[in-house]
Amino acid sequence: MTSLVSARGVSKRFGAVRAVDNVSFDIEKGKILGLIGPNGAGKTTLLKAVLGLTDCEGDLSVLGFNPFRQRKQLMQNICFIADVAVLPRWIKVSQLLDYVEAIHPNFSRKRAEELLRQTKIMSTSRVKELSKGMVTQLHLSIIMAIDAKLLVLDEPTLGLDILFRKEFYSNLLNDYFDEERTILITTHQVEEIENLLTDIMFINDGKILLDSSMDSLSDTYVELMTSGDAAKKAHGLRPIAEHEMFGKSVMLFEGVSRDHLEGLGELRIPSVADLFVAKIKEARK
Amino acid sequence: MIGHQFALIKRELWEHRSIYVTPAAIAVIVTLGVLAMLVLASGFAKGLDLAIFGAQNIAGDLERRAVLAGFFVGTSWVFLVALMFLTVFYSLDSLYAERKDKSILFWRSMPVTDAETVISKLITAAIVIPAITAVGIWLTHLVNLIVTSIWVSGKGGDAGLLIWGSISILDNWLAALIVVIASGLWMSPFIAWFLFVSTWAKRMPILMAFMPPIVLGLLEWIVFRTQYFLTTVGERGDMTPLFHSMSLERFFEEEQWRDGVGNISLLEHMDLVGFVTDPGFWSGLLVCALLTTAAIYVRRYRDDS
Repeated sequence: MTSLVSARGVSKRFGAVRAVDNVSFDIEKGKILGLIGPNGAGKTTLLKAVLGLTDCEGDLSVLGFNPFRQRKQLMQNICFIADVAVLPRWIKVSQLLDYVEAIHPNFSRKRAEELLRQTKIMSTSRVKELSKGMVTQLHLSIIMAIDAKLLVLDEPTLGLDILFRKEFYSNLLNDYFDEERTILITTHQVEEIENLLTDIMFINDGKILLDSSMDSLSDTYVELMTSGDAAKKAHGLRPIAEHEMFGKSVMLFEGVSRDHLEGLGELRIPSVADLFVAKIKEARK
Repeated sequence: MIGHQFALIKRELWEHRSIYVTPAAIAVIVTLGVLAMLVLASGFAKGLDLAIFGAQNIAGDLERRAVLAGFFVGTSWVFLVALMFLTVFYSLDSLYAERKDKSILFWRSMPVTDAETVISKLITAAIVIPAITAVGIWLTHLVNLIVTSIWVSGKGGDAGLLIWGSISILDNWLAALIVVIASGLWMSPFIAWFLFVSTWAKRMPILMAFMPPIVLGLLEWIVFRTQYFLTTVGERGDMTPLFHSMSLERFFEEEQWRDGVGNISLLEHMDLVGFVTDPGFWSGLLVCALLTTAAIYVRRYRDDS
């Protein structure tokens, strides 16, 4: 496997606060990694470091470049959508295409125009005349027309309605993603993307709580719904989290074999959201 | 790099339409003003039928040439005043607006360095806006010469002699181009200061740009009872090395006593060599380079997105 992003002991301080605290991880080619964390966890700071928008301590290599020192070279092979509202409001769609075509060596105007034809966006419109959903469609059309190795999405669907959100991820998967491309994504709406992720990383207080592939997640974590004596017995196996639902106990286990839990109740693969809540609570204990 | 600069400068013109709308508006206003004068002058007195520039009742050749030169210089001056305001507002907005509307995140997602971006804005302010202003001046002169010629010809005058033969058009146009480009370069330390403030100020860049020099000047006066700082800043405005501190009054006085009746030359009143060899020119460029570097540094390192 080829590491596209390699971080070793990466930290970023703002005064006394460590927004990113000595994190190490790798992102391999062909993956869709979800970076999940509560507000102020350090997600955006980490993404900014990866994108070369902010300097950091430690060793960080993205596509073999030092992102802060070699941002221009890096940006030829990286795309990012930082937020839905960052396209300049005064620009016309045609001007935006002219600009990216002139600046970006890996941009296909033909492809962007093909994608835009599938929308209601007119080339003569200004961004300020478009709805929030259309601005996202426009941004995504541009990004998808760039032959980039790494796509970074920071809350790309924030504030969009469910239809646009579904369409956004569907376009991304069907028309963009392939084994040569890698996507790094952060979002609060984790339920919507967990089915498309290949890998997941939880971050809290600048530290990584979990870094795993989605496949191995189901091997490591098991959710048990149980009650009565079985629940007492399950307690002995030290669940990392527990809550009540419909009068039953729902317990989350880490690294406990399914064989040990079999017969104690109903076993399920935990949702990413449940796992996230459990890991955050565990970290805050 | 150069290809990028073209795209970046084009982008500036898309965003700041006032760069070409303002000169166009001035051109229209001046032309309408001239037309109104022609009509009004003809209405008031038959003797002014050939009105304004071609008027036969203006005493002689030299006077007519002076009036025409006066029109050329006057129009250029209006454009220069507009150029000053345009440059100040453009420079202060250029690196501030992108942070305010957060579009800086989009611009920085493209393979363009902060240095390329800031330099494109400096080139726009110091060279492109002056060049567009020069084109505005030329077109205004041309259109008004044509309008006046049609008027004069309509009244039976010889426009070729009375209008076109009485002004050194190329001399005036070259002079206008030199003045606007030279002013961009001469004022480049101010432009770079505005760019720096534009990338640094969290709010109200116009206040942030003008307050520090005023406060510094006041402090100097309070502490030392001197005004060197504000005088130096103020005096830079008259582009002394290019014009030898020439006043408009002296200009026409000098022209009045020139030998013969040749057309008035603006170029003869300029000292281009003196301008580019003046220490003030080069020290200005040095200050511009330092402040531009500071603006690049701030855009690169600040993180308030």
